Amino acid sequence: MTDQPDRARNWLDRIRKLPIDRPMRIMNVCGGHERTIAMAGLRSALPPQVQLIAGPGCPVCICPEEDIHDAIFLSLRAGVTVVAFGDMLRVPANLPKSQPRTLDQARAAGGHVRPIASPTDAIRIARDRPDQQIVFFAAGFETTTAPVAGMLAHELPPNLSILLSARLTWPAVAMLLDSDSPGFDGLIAPGHVAAVMGPEEWRFVSQRHGLASAIAGFSPDGLLSALHAVIMQLLEGRAALENRYERVVRPGGNPTARRLIDEMLDITEANWRGIGTIARSGFALKPHLVDRDARRKFEIESDSGRKRAGEMPVGCDCAKVVLGKIKPDQCRLYAKACTPREPVGPCMVSDEGACHIWWASGVRTQSSEPAAAA
Amino acid sequence: MNIVGEKTIRLAHGNGGRLMRELIDRVFARHFSELGPDKTLDASPFSLPTGVAITSVDAFTVQPLEFPGGDIGTLAVNGTVNDLAVSGARPHFLTLSAILEEGLEIAVLDRVVASLAAEARRTGVKIIAGDTKVVPRGHGGGIYFTTTGIGVRNTGVTLGLDRIQVGDAILVSGPIGDHGIAVMLARQEFDLHGNIRSDCAPVIDLAEAAAALGAHFMRDPTRGGLAGVVNEIASATGFGLRLDETCVPIRDEVRGVCEILGYDPYTLACEGRVVAIVAQTTAREVLAAWRDLAGGESAEIVGTVTNPPARVVLATSAGGERILPELEDEPLPRIC
Ligand code: SF4
Repeated sequence: MTDQPDRARNWLDRIRKLPIDRPMRIMNVCGGHERTIAMAGLRSALPPQVQLIAGPGCPVCICPEEDIHDAIFLSLRAGVTVVAFGDMLRVPANLPKSQPRTLDQARAAGGHVRPIASPTDAIRIARDRPDQQIVFFAAGFETTTAPVAGMLAHELPPNLSILLSARLTWPAVAMLLDSDSPGFDGLIAPGHVAAVMGPEEWRFVSQRHGLASAIAGFSPDGLLSALHAVIMQLLEGRAALENRYERVVRPGGNPTARRLIDEMLDITEANWRGIGTIARSGFALKPHLVDRDARRKFEIESDSGRKRAGEMPVGCDCAKVVLGKIKPDQCRLYAKACTPREPVGPCMVSDEGACHIWWASGVRTQSSEPAAAA
Repeated sequence: MNIVGEKTIRLAHGNGGRLMRELIDRVFARHFSELGPDKTLDASPFSLPTGVAITSVDAFTVQPLEFPGGDIGTLAVNGTVNDLAVSGARPHFLTLSAILEEGLEIAVLDRVVASLAAEARRTGVKIIAGDTKVVPRGHGGGIYFTTTGIGVRNTGVTLGLDRIQVGDAILVSGPIGDHGIAVMLARQEFDLHGNIRSDCAPVIDLAEAAAALGAHFMRDPTRGGLAGVVNEIASATGFGLRLDETCVPIRDEVRGVCEILGYDPYTLACEGRVVAIVAQTTAREVLAAWRDLAGGESAEIVGTVTNPPARVVLATSAGGERILPELEDEPLPRIC
């Protein structure tokens, strides 16, 4: 860590010296990248023409409302314990105030809910509590899905099942690029996702859409190096996918992880909260794993008649934030009705959510800049 | 350690009868010996050296009761003693109230009281009054301690928020966040392991050294961490504070765990550190004095007091800057 700050300053100096003559909107699609940008204060240090946009990088934020609703109801059933990554505990479903609206509130109301940090925690809890049905509410992108697939390849305790809510990252970017107004000129591709699935997944950005792109790591210097690559491409009128996280991202990704995902999971169309259905953007358990499927085991049927199912909470602009259409502090509720202490939407709950990250990095007021009509 | 066949705390240990007397004799009085109050008295007389008397009270509910680098006993002494020390006082006495939960293993209580006594000896405080209660199973976290500290302000010391001036230096006596992470790992809620030990220790010598060199203000960054202390100073004085991230000592292990779990090391609790605001001209002297003392070896000058507005700006090691906010929610398990 000793020379890292020096390297970061070096990249920053190199970027500052470039003859940037027009606005460059560069999107990142990973909560980890957004956190590095916010915590290192990079927006304040970069030339004003370089605009860093937080894109779809928060799996918690787009986790379908129905899935959260189902997890809450499962946790309130006798003999069932829901385990989930910490972030998922505080994400609200669109339920009346008189009912538990988050897993945390369900726990306070007597439901069985436990936070975990990895799939191994879920297995340990299932072994420790053979008298309980353990439901692992597994929401996440490829990086969290790979360990879930790995877990499924093992002999698992019979009382453990999965409520899978896993998503792929690139289809959301493809959807944006296929739309009339993608809203960005270059892309910082997610390092960890590329390390698992392979950098090839992101070639479409430059090859099909002609956008500048680079894969970045998560230290400030790694991120600035990728940013430099994207800005250089834009200045030179080139479009390529540069790998600036070579230490970790190898051609083809992680073969074991990919094999496990292939063997355990199918790819399906999937719902993104507040955004809608995106083709080939979700994972589902393969038919041979039907016994592990909590939806089957507990005969959960989504109630399509439920009012506002699938939507963001009233007044919450998370869907626009996730797609990079507005900045977090341009939401009318940011820092007013919506704070981490009393979050309105998932983007303020999750550590990966842009609203939460901005708040944690010290942004405590609303932007004076009006949101562009999107 | 054995109390006539008893291995765990029962409600009867708090009923004022024989069992309670035995518990006090064989656990508390045995470890306290010369430190402890006269058991035959209901209230203890004490006298203090002349000067301004200072008192402070704190309750301790840490889970787990024992963690690498300390336990609830060392915490109950240092937490209160350090509050006095950073106020410029020499601590003399403690009172101790213990709330025990039915079912607690007496062996655990014995260990914790032994380390509480050892820490009291180390810091030179006597325990002049004590009380024990037992609550039913499920109504407490094993052991809760409350300690009240009594001390006397050292002569010539004038510390206060009103002495802080624009241009003053901000110093930290050692790496931040060790206690918060050590306790969090000890809870074993997550499949994470590490060698991080709590920094739980008295800061009396560090505080006296800084005060003797004319420090303007001191605090121990416990709950809320360094971010809490600097934000408190900003809002109380109306001045800005600027911290330089490259100078703030944080262990690599602490940083690593924070990255994995998404915690901000600036908001993690310390239990053996001092934050001091000193005149720029004496900053180097205080730093040298601290580095010569046990627990101050890794002290650093981490920032300066600046003009209003009242906010804390962190100059990041990458060359950017951002506002360093105070801890908003409780991201961590209870750690003090
Ligand atoms: S500030 Fe709150 S309400 Fe607004 S988009 Fe973010 S999470 Fe949603």
